[in-house]
Amino acid sequence: MLTAERRTEKKNKDEPWRDPHAEAYVRIENITKRFGDFVAVNNVSLKIFKGEIFCLLGGSGCGKSTLLRMLAGFESPSSGSIFLDGQDMAGVPPYERPVNMMFQSYALFPHMTVEKNIAFGLEQEKGLSRSDIATRVTDILEIVKLGPFAARRPHQLSGGQRQRVALARALVKRPKLLLLDEPLGALDKKLREATQFELINIQEQLGVTFIVVTHDQEESMTLASRIGVMNRGEIVQIGTPTEIYEFPQNKFVADFIGSVNMFEGTMIEDLPDRVRIKSDDLGGVIYVDHGISSAPGAIVYAAIRPEKISILRAPPADTTENCVKGVVKEIAYMGDVSIYLVKIDTGKMVRVTLPNIERLSDDERILWDETVWLTWHGSSPVVVTQ
Amino acid sequence: MKPAARTLGSRDAYGRLSPLWIFLLRYGPPRWSEYVVQNWTGQRLVIAVPYLWLLVFFLIPFLIVLKISFAEFSPLGRPPYEPVFQWLEEGALQVKLLIGSYVYLFNEPLYVSAWFYSLKVAFFSTLFCLALGYPMAYAIARSPPTQRNVLLLLIILPFWTSFLLRVYAWVGLLKTDGLINQVLFKWFGIVDEPLAMMNTSFAVYIGIVYSYLPFMILPLYSNLEKHDNTLLEAAQDLGAGPIKSFLRVTLPLSFPGIVAGSLLVFIPAVGEYVIPSLLGRTDQLMVAKLLSDEFFLNRDWPRASAVAIAMLLLLVVPIMIFQRFQNKELQAARK
Repeated sequence: MLTAERRTEKKNKDEPWRDPHAEAYVRIENITKRFGDFVAVNNVSLKIFKGEIFCLLGGSGCGKSTLLRMLAGFESPSSGSIFLDGQDMAGVPPYERPVNMMFQSYALFPHMTVEKNIAFGLEQEKGLSRSDIATRVTDILEIVKLGPFAARRPHQLSGGQRQRVALARALVKRPKLLLLDEPLGALDKKLREATQFELINIQEQLGVTFIVVTHDQEESMTLASRIGVMNRGEIVQIGTPTEIYEFPQNKFVADFIGSVNMFEGTMIEDLPDRVRIKSDDLGGVIYVDHGISSAPGAIVYAAIRPEKISILRAPPADTTENCVKGVVKEIAYMGDVSIYLVKIDTGKMVRVTLPNIERLSDDERILWDETVWLTWHGSSPVVVTQ
Repeated sequence: MKPAARTLGSRDAYGRLSPLWIFLLRYGPPRWSEYVVQNWTGQRLVIAVPYLWLLVFFLIPFLIVLKISFAEFSPLGRPPYEPVFQWLEEGALQVKLLIGSYVYLFNEPLYVSAWFYSLKVAFFSTLFCLALGYPMAYAIARSPPTQRNVLLLLIILPFWTSFLLRVYAWVGLLKTDGLINQVLFKWFGIVDEPLAMMNTSFAVYIGIVYSYLPFMILPLYSNLEKHDNTLLEAAQDLGAGPIKSFLRVTLPLSFPGIVAGSLLVFIPAVGEYVIPSLLGRTDQLMVAKLLSDEFFLNRDWPRASAVAIAMLLLLVVPIMIFQRFQNKELQAARK
């Protein structure tokens, strides 16, 4: 059994962002980047700790790639500063930064073999002998399991192999910080899943700090120790994958991560331990079993995840709250889960997912145009104000 | 459905063909015969037109020139050479091949020096074109897309004027009382006496580099324009400064463009006639001038033909070997 003290200690080690005394490894302070009139990155501040895999997540054009390019040194910030391990990066050109990047397109040199590609970065370093370089290349090839492919050219490799070459080429430099731009974007689904775990293993093995840019929330969920969700050049929430998914702080995050049913409403009861929201979207009252901080009478949004709603064939006896009647309009069978689109009386479509635990016969299964009742627990809705 | 591949030159596949065809398919140039096998249907008509064109306007004239180069010169004849092939009265075919013209090419110091001079001029002109053209092509490839077309147009613009006129214009610039000497000598007095620029190798270099620069720039541009900028970023990211990145990434990747541009300059420069005639030295001839003198002044067709054939062999054979080598390397890389 862990004592309370040791538990905090462990937690602080695994989650240094919870420790107010922890020293940030990468400190981004009030970074803004403008291209003409367009503000790509707007006043972003971030602290990233040593050994983290930090994911910048957002749609295209949200500024995540620009932020990454500023860290690599390809763009210089319009204002604000970046500190890496205490050192100010302003005016340091990309080739002098202790930072390496894995490009989205991998950017492997087509005229060099795998071996030469990986050795390229080491050859630029002073004071490394030929045999040192050879050893380090061999070692990293071992880690990414590309030993037999050392003499091949990039175009002779599969997508997954190229991805690993790109990773090896960046890692062999032993950077303080590795930047990964959509690292798995070009791989197919199966390979992507396998590679995600491989990437985490390598990261743990080498202890390098990763910053990953991605638009794929699933990818960020599996990889990241923390996620920074970006929208329109700003960071809208920073948190662990669980926090981001279960406790989104605003409508954008709730909507962007996973799918969600959003009900607009006004607070009719606001107590420290429970809240009631009257929603015209729902045509009823939503009961939430935890308190939220908001002005009374304010317009709020209750976000309910599809997997947290259950479908009943008869109206529940005990309560009228957290319950709504509707008609099944669409059913999508996905294998592991089924997705139901239920049209409730107000005309809004509600998305519900149910795991397919049992093999049901046709009479047992909920079918199209069936009238159903949707209910959820008081802990399920997340209430956001904007 | 695609029929199974037929074996080259097998009897059953070519039952209707004459033995000559079977022989050609079996022992002819491999690519060509493969082509015929795979496209034995209507597609061959499409390719037949350019092939026919090459046959009539290149291969046959080439064979005629080749034949003349082995003929005996007869100054008073019309045409001025003895026939190579002749039917004798007994029904025998007499073939008389003289290699005298070729032997002469290698023994006559005038010819040997003209050869070396031509190769030297072509080589250095190519180098100058490369040194000038590479930065220009690079700059165009790197400029914003809207400016690119304008810049390319400026490169091609001189072609709207006749080549001959442009070379003559250089005469006006370079001659003793030409524009350059006027400015340097008369107006500013930078030089003590007018520079003798006409009829020098310098003038030939100027003329060739000026005329052939676009042929260097265009293939280089089309190569450089395709370069992926992220490769340079990757090189920088891995610690290579701008110069290192250029030398290790851009330069090797632009090698095909350098080869294409250099060949496009070098080949016509070796056989250049107009520029050395108008601007060049009178005491040192280039091969093309020699050829035309043999042909028009001496009327020695066999020797002129021999010069032409030798020029072709000396230029084309190394290039073909080089390209074959490059193709092999490419194929090896693809496997």
